[in-house]
Amino acid sequence: MTARLAIPVLAVVCAITAVVAVGSAVDRPPSSYAAASGTADIADALAGLSLVLGGALAWIQDRSRVVGVLGMLAGVAWFAPDWEGWVGAGPLVRSLAAAVAVLYLPLLFHLCLALPAGRVRGGAARLGVVAVYALAVGVAIGRALFRDPFLDPYCWRTCLDNAFLVHAEPGLAGALGDIWMRAALVVAAALVVIAALRLVAATPAARRVLLPTLVPLAVAATAEVAYAVALVRTPLENPESAGFAAIFLVRSLAACALGLGLAWSVVNVRRMRSSVSRLAAELAEAPAGTLRDGLAAALGDRDLEVHYWLPGSERFVSSDGATAAAPAPGNGRVATPITRGGRTLAVVSHDAALLEGRELELQIGSAARLAIDNERLQAEVLAQLHDLRGSRARIVEAGDAERRRLERNLHDGAQQRLLAVSYDLRLARAAAEKDGDLELTGLASLAAARIDVALGELRELAEGIYPAILTEAGLGMALASLADRAPLPVELGDIPSERLPPAVERTAYYAVEETIHEAHGRGASFASVRAERAGDTLAVTVDDDGADRDGSLVHVTDRVGALGGTVAAGPTTLRAELPCA
Amino acid sequence: MRVVVADDVMLTREGIVRLLEEAGVEVVGQAGDAASLVRLVRGTQPDAAIVDIRMPPTHTDEGLVAASMIRTELPEVGVLILSQYIEPSYALRLLEEHPERVGYLLKERVFDVALLVDALRRIGDGETVVDPTIVSRLVGRRRREDPLEALTAREREALELLAEGLSNRAIAARLVVTERTVEAHVKQIFTKLRLDANPDSHRRVLAVLAYLRGVT
Repeated sequence: MTARLAIPVLAVVCAITAVVAVGSAVDRPPSSYAAASGTADIADALAGLSLVLGGALAWIQDRSRVVGVLGMLAGVAWFAPDWEGWVGAGPLVRSLAAAVAVLYLPLLFHLCLALPAGRVRGGAARLGVVAVYALAVGVAIGRALFRDPFLDPYCWRTCLDNAFLVHAEPGLAGALGDIWMRAALVVAAALVVIAALRLVAATPAARRVLLPTLVPLAVAATAEVAYAVALVRTPLENPESAGFAAIFLVRSLAACALGLGLAWSVVNVRRMRSSVSRLAAELAEAPAGTLRDGLAAALGDRDLEVHYWLPGSERFVSSDGATAAAPAPGNGRVATPITRGGRTLAVVSHDAALLEGRELELQIGSAARLAIDNERLQAEVLAQLHDLRGSRARIVEAGDAERRRLERNLHDGAQQRLLAVSYDLRLARAAAEKDGDLELTGLASLAAARIDVALGELRELAEGIYPAILTEAGLGMALASLADRAPLPVELGDIPSERLPPAVERTAYYAVEETIHEAHGRGASFASVRAERAGDTLAVTVDDDGADRDGSLVHVTDRVGALGGTVAAGPTTLRAELPCA
Repeated sequence: MRVVVADDVMLTREGIVRLLEEAGVEVVGQAGDAASLVRLVRGTQPDAAIVDIRMPPTHTDEGLVAASMIRTELPEVGVLILSQYIEPSYALRLLEEHPERVGYLLKERVFDVALLVDALRRIGDGETVVDPTIVSRLVGRRRREDPLEALTAREREALELLAEGLSNRAIAARLVVTERTVEAHVKQIFTKLRLDANPDSHRRVLAVLAYLRGVT
């Protein structure tokens, strides 16, 4: 606890000392902005304090120590020019402050790339951060060693002593100052661009989280650009001039807003954590497939996905049982496994900017894990149902394909052969006729007539096995043809003329065929058939005037069920609803 | 008479050609698929084309599609469709598109050379030919209150022959009555069935077939 609080306490003490010290500075002409006017003094104090306190809160929350440290250090660096300009601080502190002041911009740069969780992603970004730090530190050390403030024509803060001076090199010191000014211009401009790009590239959920810190950062960096430009144009800084004073005010307000943004992020993470743990508690009490929706709402991430792991079939499924691809991290998303007793229950994939996977996992207690395990089991049952439905549909499909094959074989094989025999018999009869062999002529005629009967029977058989016209001309034509040869009068109502998925057409056709024959068996003297399409559903209705139905139409129900449809059978009516998306 | 024959089964095609040639019909070309059939008809301008309904590539209704193309492009060329199916829908589709100079016969009929030559001759005369099995399936359709019951046995026979595409003269010859008697029967049939088509037009076949299928 002491260690956890020591650093923020130290930073706050530093900040308060600075504020107090600045308040007591009364030098004329002023040697710091805070000493230049009452407004500047207040703005300066608010900016530095809000950075230090925002950073301290982030540090204490323990989400990202890096962000906390960067925030506090930026606050300390913000106050450095005030220390430098305060005569009462003594030569050593003033010289140290002059060196530290340079680090403010590099700290903002690092913060911009490290938000929200403290990690700088990407090799180029890491390299950039290191390079900016190295340049700033190099300039700070160089100026500490070789800049004699007394010889610096633009000096206005502490012009008498430099505690670290080794050897006065006015030319080198001036050149280092120029290099840093121009480098600051470039770094600040890059910072604006990076902040804007990060905001543009973020998902809506991530943008909500990053907006309160990245926008002040972009504004602060813009003010730094203006500051650097002003210094290039007017090397002798005057805190009482309107231009410099205005720039300082904007820098202060942006820094203040950044500090508040850091504090807001702390509150937001706290809110997300507590809604996740509240959700976990709710799940433990009333589990009903709400993990995904609850988490999505708690984190504000609409794209959040929960995939349950089925160890038996070694795959992931979503809560409705549909097989899902293995969740992979990357592209700004993280995949957090939720485990129970060492077993993976589910994997939550969500926006990396919202909560660290570890944080999410920590908020879910053991009771909630039990509930999630139950959800996983429910998903497993649904997955099995999915598999079962798929295999039913495949069995029916295979049966239909077999029927179709048989029908084709009868037409293209047996029927063609019988036609050939019929042709040969007619040739034989013609030859016998020519020879005047009456007996042979008669036999050949008889055989030809029998072949014709066989052809007729074969045709009817093929027609009953599979109606070729269904594939070729659709449900309407096929039902008309069915009505032509039905054993009872069949009145066809409206039938959709458009083509439907083959499995739907087949199922509708066989459902009608079977129902008509069943109605005939119940003594019906009439049946009427109609089909209507409403949205993604085809509803087929068969009414008849036969005796009341006493059994159920098992085959029809099975077939329709295999397609995921439903059958409602009344005493003399049947309605089958088939999904045909 | 000059005809072309299109069937993708060579055995059947050559059988038809041989029978036709023996009966004195001139076969001016043979085709194995719909595209070459259409080219052949354009090149030879025959009196009629004998076309299998199922041909490559899809083996479904290429014959019907080709028939429609031929009838539209060359109205003088008749088309006789050969089919494995007793399918009134196909016959009706053929007649609805082109009610003259077309025929729809079951495939095995072609080996009855007298019947085949008669069908070709009728198509050449501008009539239509519908296979008797199609007609009897339509006539035999179950109906709640069958208007055909109002017909006498003789009228019913005349109705079936009419639906097969026979002319009054041909019906008279089949029924061994005078043409005037047939005319009277046909008039009675049209009145009793409340058909408002002209009983003497070429389109009467289509009207009767559509009626038979539509009334329940």
